[in-house]
Amino acid sequence: MKEVRLWTASDVSDWLTDEGLQEYTDAFQDVDGPALLRLSEEDFKASPLSLVTGDSGRHLLERIKTLLLTSHMKAHKNNNNNENGHTVIALANGSVSNGKIHNGIPKNGLHPEPVRILIPQPPEQERTPYPTEWFKTGVAFLYALFCFLTTTVVISVVHERVPPKEESPPLPDKFFDLFDRVEWAFSICEINGMLLVGLWFMQWLLLKHRSIIGRRFFFIVGTLYLYRCMTMYVTTLPVPGMHFKCSPKIFGDWEAQSRRVMKMMAGGGLSITGSHSLCGDYLYSGHTVMLTLTYLFIKEYSPRRFWWYPWICWCLSAVGIFCILLAHDHYTIDVLLAYFITTRLFWWYHTMANQQALKEISTGNLFSRVWWFYPFQYFESNVRGIVPRNYQLPFLFRTVTCTRVKYSKLDSRES
Amino acid sequence: MAASYLLDEREDDGTNGGYHVMVTVEERPRPHATPTGQSRPSMATPSGDQVDNKSDTSKSRRFVRGFRKALRKNQDYTRIIGSKSSVPQLPSEWWKTGIAFIWAGFNLVLTTVMITIVHERVPDKSVSPPLPDKFFDYVPRMEWAFSITEVNGMILVALWFIQWLCLKHRAIVGRRFFFLQGMLYLYRMVTMYITTLPVPSMHMDCAPKLYGDSQGKIKRVLQLVSGGGLSITGSHLMCGDFLYSGHTVMLTLTFLFIQEYSPRSWPWCCYHLICWLLSFVGVVCILMAHEHYSVDVVVAYFITSNLFYWYHTMANNQDLRGSPHNYLNRTWWSLAFNFLEKNVKTPVPCTFAWPLSLPSVCFKNPCESYSIVQSARDE
Repeated sequence: MKEVRLWTASDVSDWLTDEGLQEYTDAFQDVDGPALLRLSEEDFKASPLSLVTGDSGRHLLERIKTLLLTSHMKAHKNNNNNENGHTVIALANGSVSNGKIHNGIPKNGLHPEPVRILIPQPPEQERTPYPTEWFKTGVAFLYALFCFLTTTVVISVVHERVPPKEESPPLPDKFFDLFDRVEWAFSICEINGMLLVGLWFMQWLLLKHRSIIGRRFFFIVGTLYLYRCMTMYVTTLPVPGMHFKCSPKIFGDWEAQSRRVMKMMAGGGLSITGSHSLCGDYLYSGHTVMLTLTYLFIKEYSPRRFWWYPWICWCLSAVGIFCILLAHDHYTIDVLLAYFITTRLFWWYHTMANQQALKEISTGNLFSRVWWFYPFQYFESNVRGIVPRNYQLPFLFRTVTCTRVKYSKLDSRES
Repeated sequence: MAASYLLDEREDDGTNGGYHVMVTVEERPRPHATPTGQSRPSMATPSGDQVDNKSDTSKSRRFVRGFRKALRKNQDYTRIIGSKSSVPQLPSEWWKTGIAFIWAGFNLVLTTVMITIVHERVPDKSVSPPLPDKFFDYVPRMEWAFSITEVNGMILVALWFIQWLCLKHRAIVGRRFFFLQGMLYLYRMVTMYITTLPVPSMHMDCAPKLYGDSQGKIKRVLQLVSGGGLSITGSHLMCGDFLYSGHTVMLTLTFLFIQEYSPRSWPWCCYHLICWLLSFVGVVCILMAHEHYSVDVVVAYFITSNLFYWYHTMANNQDLRGSPHNYLNRTWWSLAFNFLEKNVKTPVPCTFAWPLSLPSVCFKNPCESYSIVQSARDE
């Protein structure tokens, strides 16, 4: 396209038709390039232009401005490509006189160049309402680990204080009165627990916002175990059944005690792995906490389509809890208290996380008086809205699959 | 095009200080639909149309102005009538308070019955000695401590009662208190029943067991209820009601209610502090008297504060009630909550009123209130 100031009247008329401004062609029969550029609003107020224009020529003037800009850019670009400069203009000149416009296709055959506009990228927390922030998830994970370690140490300490079975017989419990002990029941409970944890782990891997959800899980689990430390420590309940075989007490032997703690952490505190030989950790039941919490998380973050999946997990969880009692491994009060505290903490946390109004301190928000409100704010302040249940393969699997859609035109232009 | 023309003209008219008319005056049909068949109407027309345009727009201009004048005559300010103003925001509904009272009373009686039942199952001190407790290891028993607890408890209950009498919305607040108390005693019943803890200390003298003697048991129940369950009145002779501590529940609950429904300004802060001290000292004295295990007190405090905050957050945040992402209503008592709090639309403000109706001129409202708005609303 040649420069506007070199245009003739017929060029101008072609351009007007191009732009859909045919109504001006009659009035602009004598207007050439320079005259076009000299047009201003005053010209449209006088006749004959005031008769043909509906909006005082504003639309036309804007188009002229755009035209000017593009032609400047063209000139600039052509000046930069010195070797091609003349050839291009020559081509443009050559094709201008021959071509006629049809349906808005530019007659010179050149596409307008894309302009790169550099926008500084806002930080992640402004770009998306669900920023990943893996650092915070790491902090939550460390917190959970710390709480697990503390619990194990406390169990080891409490073990020393459990009264022997002969001195302090098992306390009267209503469930134990109704149901006799079933020996293999506790293994069922632990298998169910391991299944649920495995299922939850796989589900977590498939979630898109796994950093946020992982953070929540670690924080809640850590807090529940911390509460458990407290209730275990202050009062020691006797063993629930005479079948218990508690390890011998090691008074003051720190080395042996720390070895015991390591063994318990390594085995995850399960009887199946043989790491749970310590007594005294009854109020409240850690097995119930894990069974309930994994079920709550599974249900919360699973797709609604697979309605049978949370139901299966519910059955696993309920059977597991029932088996704890059947095996006379915990008092009923332990299980009930664990269930109550777990559900309350889970619902409390998630209600606060889902309502923007509850994330701020105010007189109407009594939830802000809870002791973990500041850690909660730290974890959830940048999460704006309810975390959707979106699924995405983890990073390693993503690079393998070839299901990416390619937008070929854009991609090729960028290169 | 016609609409935009009218808009421009309206903005130019400054006689009435930029008063904008949002009416559908602009929908008048244009008499000249340009029959040129082109994409842009009203453009490629000869000058004859322009003259008609001018007369048309002047007519519409006169019409709009006349309409505006008519509106202006009747309005100095704009009254916006919200749809809710006719419905009272905080209705009293004393009958609901009555139901909550019956619920609390029912639970209290049931708890007493449960204590009597559990008493029969408490293992004997010689068979099952007191459990190891960290607090008991550090602090030896002090006999007079439990009386302090009970005296503090009675003072707090009396203070709360007086404060409650002076509240304006005492029906609503009373309802909440009775409901929560009933719930806490219900939970207590369950925890007491399922597992029976042995006596915390060898000093405790439990009344002898009445195996199967129903009449004796009923007499015990009545005695306990009439004495309010307090040792001071001599009605608390039965053992077994250890997990969790009812005394802690009362101390904590009354304090929470006192704090919630009184102003937060400076002189009242001292009042809150005094009540907090009473409550705290009372709870510590329970442990010092070796009347309850530490875990009983901890669990009681946790459950009481949890329930209080939960209930009040649900009540104060209207938008939580209808929201599908509100996990608070997954508790089993959310239906009862909806029943009690359905018509309470706003957080209960802290306003006081004499129990007997006196003219409101006679007292000064100590709470911070927007008196002009308040008085206008009350009229």
